[in-house]
Amino acid sequence: MASIFPPYLKAGDRIGIVCPAGFMAAERIVPCVNTLKSWGFRVKIGKTVGGVSSNYFSGTDEERLEDLQEMLDDEDLSAILCGRGGYGLSRIIDQVSFKKFRKSPKWILGYSDICLLHAHIYSNFEIATAHSPMAGAFMDAVPGDPYIGSIRSLLLGEKLHYSCDPHPFNRKGEVEGTLMGGNLTLLAHTVGGSSDFKTKGLILFIEDIWEYLYNIDRMLFQLKSAGKFQKPAAIIVGSFSELKDTERPFGQNAYEIIRDILSAYEYPVCYGFPVGHVKENFALKCGAEYRLKVGKDKVVLEEIQ
Amino acid sequence: MKRKRFLGSLLGSPLLAAAAFPDETSRQSRISEADNWRIPPYLKPGDTIGITCPAGYLTESEVQPAIILLKSWGFNIRIGKTVGDRDFSFGGKDQERMADMQEMLDDPSVQAIMCGRGGYGMIRIIDQLDFRKFVEKPKWVVGFSDITIFHAHLNHQYRIASIHSKMCNSFPDHPELLEKGQWESILSIQTALIGKQIEYPVTYDAANRPGLGQGILGGGNLRTLENLAGTASDLKTEGMILFVEDVGEYLYSIDRMFYSLKRTGKLDKLSGLLIGAFRVKPDDPGDEFGKSVYNIVMEQVANYHYPVCFNFPVGHQKINYALKCGVRHELNISTEKVVFREV
Repeated sequence: MASIFPPYLKAGDRIGIVCPAGFMAAERIVPCVNTLKSWGFRVKIGKTVGGVSSNYFSGTDEERLEDLQEMLDDEDLSAILCGRGGYGLSRIIDQVSFKKFRKSPKWILGYSDICLLHAHIYSNFEIATAHSPMAGAFMDAVPGDPYIGSIRSLLLGEKLHYSCDPHPFNRKGEVEGTLMGGNLTLLAHTVGGSSDFKTKGLILFIEDIWEYLYNIDRMLFQLKSAGKFQKPAAIIVGSFSELKDTERPFGQNAYEIIRDILSAYEYPVCYGFPVGHVKENFALKCGAEYRLKVGKDKVVLEEIQ
Repeated sequence: MKRKRFLGSLLGSPLLAAAAFPDETSRQSRISEADNWRIPPYLKPGDTIGITCPAGYLTESEVQPAIILLKSWGFNIRIGKTVGDRDFSFGGKDQERMADMQEMLDDPSVQAIMCGRGGYGMIRIIDQLDFRKFVEKPKWVVGFSDITIFHAHLNHQYRIASIHSKMCNSFPDHPELLEKGQWESILSIQTALIGKQIEYPVTYDAANRPGLGQGILGGGNLRTLENLAGTASDLKTEGMILFVEDVGEYLYSIDRMFYSLKRTGKLDKLSGLLIGAFRVKPDDPGDEFGKSVYNIVMEQVANYHYPVCFNFPVGHQKINYALKCGVRHELNISTEKVVFREV
């Protein structure tokens, strides 16, 4: 089913920056604010950015909830860009009111912990969101960085079109479907709850960081057993970075684990797609229709409609 | 076993109704009247315990202390093919671990199955196991940590009781060197297997929430339970006295796991909550989580009224008493003590 698309942005529109999860120092968003302004947007900085919190979170649950709620409800905002992920949305998501947001949707941008928001909004309201680098990523970006640039393209409503090199594990094919997915740990976390979504017909993408290899394996088996790998149109495997191994080695790397689990199915799969906790992390529209071509010489993911 | 047939066997054996031990002549599993859970026949001397490694690997020498002790309790031992086998961290390839577990489940001469160790691997084979013969003739399955999956599977699919306890890799070379609680934890496996009533000393913790609750016992390793959501082994917790424990996780991950339990409806209808050992991974500098396990738990249960017990003797630690999952227990927490017992 086609998703509802928030209006794309034009020069002069305003973007809010909020930290619904982990803490972020105020100075870390400066490059982001400058870049957004150079793109012609106005910026509103939420109270949770560089807050007074002394612990892991960017504020208490109440403060983070209030800031996110204010951003969702603010009619003068056209998009909300999260400062960073970390952990924390699980604690507030069931208290967020999406009433005004549903009436006048706006783009929500982020990834990692923010995947819970994407999954929740897709599953409950079928409104498109943006899986993209966050404010922190602007710090290390060089001028003309294509990954940061993809955020601008997304916001302005350009049709997104990405390609990458083939990987030996790829399973070739061409499909069309709704793009959805994100961080594997967060996807596993949503299963069985109110943010869980059906994967039938989806171009499903996954990525993760810092997990033990056996936990990657365990979460994939959970998704498999929960039927999530049964009928997607295709699967895009992003980066699985900085993974850990046990004293007795697991014996497979993440891509080998995924290849083995997906060997039971026949749909196209591509590996090494530029999405994840790495610099190579293109903005993707969750809930939008895409065509994925996994070919011999290259992989192309392009938005259709 | 059908309830009707069970009642018939009761009528034929009037003494049984009053006996604390199960019917030893028919060797049939019992049905717990109130809950419709089935309890495998308890063991008697001469019965056979099969040892298998459905998850991590265990060497043949590592299993020897368990063999010696289990034999001293009067049981025969059958060693599975996966003991001493190894495929990286696993006790053999998926197919081999599955076949070994299947053989143990199906073998009528095996009355209980003890897992060699936990580690990781049960989720890779649980959906391929054929439970038909096991369901006809249930037997005790013993283990914890990764074996939580097996207990949860029996909870979700078959309502057959099983034993959450230390495994072969925890049996000591020199029992005389063990601390009291550690040795008692090993002995509690025997107590559970032969069908003596369970009642454990629980150290009183001032953080406890007093109350009285009665329900089927279930639970296990928290991370393992989180990743069973949506699967055919997803724990059904309504009315349950739930116990959880974990090791080596960051506090923020533990918080996320409790939110998983909450968001999948596993915390709202409990009869009691037992918080076992949580040996957490220290926060990274600058990323202090700011909440203890106690804070995390109490936030989750603030809206409910069931008793909550901290410092419960279960988990990846020396004191880890055998618990009968699927059996009705009572948890009574007053302002100065905790009574936890099988009813």
